[in-house]
Amino acid sequence: MEYENGSLSFVKQIDWLERRGFLWIRRTRGDGDCFYRSLAFAFVERLLKAKDRGAAVQYAMVTLSESLQMLENVGFEKLVFEDFYDVLKGLVTNVVEPDNVLGKILDEESLLTAFQDNTTSNSIVMYLRMLTSAQLRLDPDLYSPFLIHSETGEPMEVREFCEHFVEATGKEADHVQMTALSRALQINVDVAYLDGRGTNGEVDFVTLRDATDTEMSPVTLLYRPGHYDILIRDDTSGKSL
Amino acid sequence: MTSISSRRLSKELMEIQNGGCPVGIDLEKADDFQCWRFSLEVMGESLYQNEKFTLQFRFDQQYPISSPAVQFVQTEGRQIPVHPHVYSNGHICASILGNEWSPVLSVIAVCVTLQSMLASCREKRRPIDNDRYVKHAPDNPKKTQFQYDDDTV
Repeated sequence: MEYENGSLSFVKQIDWLERRGFLWIRRTRGDGDCFYRSLAFAFVERLLKAKDRGAAVQYAMVTLSESLQMLENVGFEKLVFEDFYDVLKGLVTNVVEPDNVLGKILDEESLLTAFQDNTTSNSIVMYLRMLTSAQLRLDPDLYSPFLIHSETGEPMEVREFCEHFVEATGKEADHVQMTALSRALQINVDVAYLDGRGTNGEVDFVTLRDATDTEMSPVTLLYRPGHYDILIRDDTSGKSL
Repeated sequence: MTSISSRRLSKELMEIQNGGCPVGIDLEKADDFQCWRFSLEVMGESLYQNEKFTLQFRFDQQYPISSPAVQFVQTEGRQIPVHPHVYSNGHICASILGNEWSPVLSVIAVCVTLQSMLASCREKRRPIDNDRYVKHAPDNPKKTQFQYDDDTV
C-alpha cells in the first residue's frame, strides 16, 4: 500500500481497520464523482450479496420508483432523468432477471464491467446527483444550515447550492450531499474517515441510518482527504472501478 | 445501440415540435444529432431591440453527460451579439456551458439562459480580452478554459 512508508497515524488507522476485518478497498477513479460512483456500485453490489436477492431487489425497486416521483415533484423535466433512471433500473433488475443482450443474470464481474463503461457509470452517477438535489430541494429547512459555499464559506440558497455543487458534473460531495442521498435511497451508509486524526489509530465512522430494509448491511465507504473508495469487509478481491 | 445523445436529443426534439419554443426562440435547423441551430431574440426592452441572432449547438456522443458546444454564429443578416461575455468569434463565456454544466439542463434551458443573459446586459461591449482570445481561440469553445470571474453582467 501507498502508506507503507507513510505517516504513522495513517498506518495505525489502517491497522485498526484491518483488525476489524476491513481488508480491502475497491478503488474508484479519482474524479469529483467518486462518492456517487462508489455509492452506486456498493448499492447494487449489496443486492448481489443479499441473502434473499428477490426481496432486496424488490425493496430497492420500490425506493427507485418513488424517487422518480420525487424528481418530478421538485420540477425536473422527465426527459432529463428518465434515460439515466433506465440505466440504474436495468442494472438493479438484472440482479434477478437475465438481461436482453446476453441473457445473463448480473454477477460481480458484469457489474464491474458495467461500471467501467463510461456511459453506464456516468448515467448512474447523474441519476444519484439529481436524486441528491431533489432531496435537498424537498426539505430545504432541514438542510439549510449546511448549504455553505465550499470556497467562500457563505450560506447559499438551496437552489443555488444544488445547481453549483450537486447537479453540475464532477463536483465533489460533502457531508450534506451524503446525508441527502442516503435518505433518498433509504440505505444505511458507514463512512470510515482515514484522515490521520484519530487517537491511538482509531478510525471515526460517520454513520447514516435511513434504511427501511433492515435485512441489509450498510454500504461502507472509505474517505481519505479528497477522495472516496469502497471499503470491503470480506475477502473478495478489490478490483478498481 | 442508439447512443445516449441521440436518445436524449430525439426526446428534446419531440418536445420542441409538440410544445414549441419559448417566445423569442425558434428552432431553425435540426437535421441530425450533431448540430442544431436556433434563432434568438430578446423580448421587451433591451439593448438588442430589433436584433436577431443565430445560436449553434454541437453535440458529441456523450451529451448530455458532456456539455454541448454552444456559440453564436454569423449567418445571413445576423451578427454576433456585442456583449461583455460574448467574443467576436461567437464564443460565450458562461459557467453553465463549462464547469457548471449539468444534464438537468436541456437545449431549450440553455437558450433561455443565454436569452436572459442578453436581456440583462447594460453595456454593449466585447470582453476585455477579446482580441487576444479570438486570435488564439480553438474552433470548439469547449476547449477553452474560461475564468468565470464576473456574475454581474
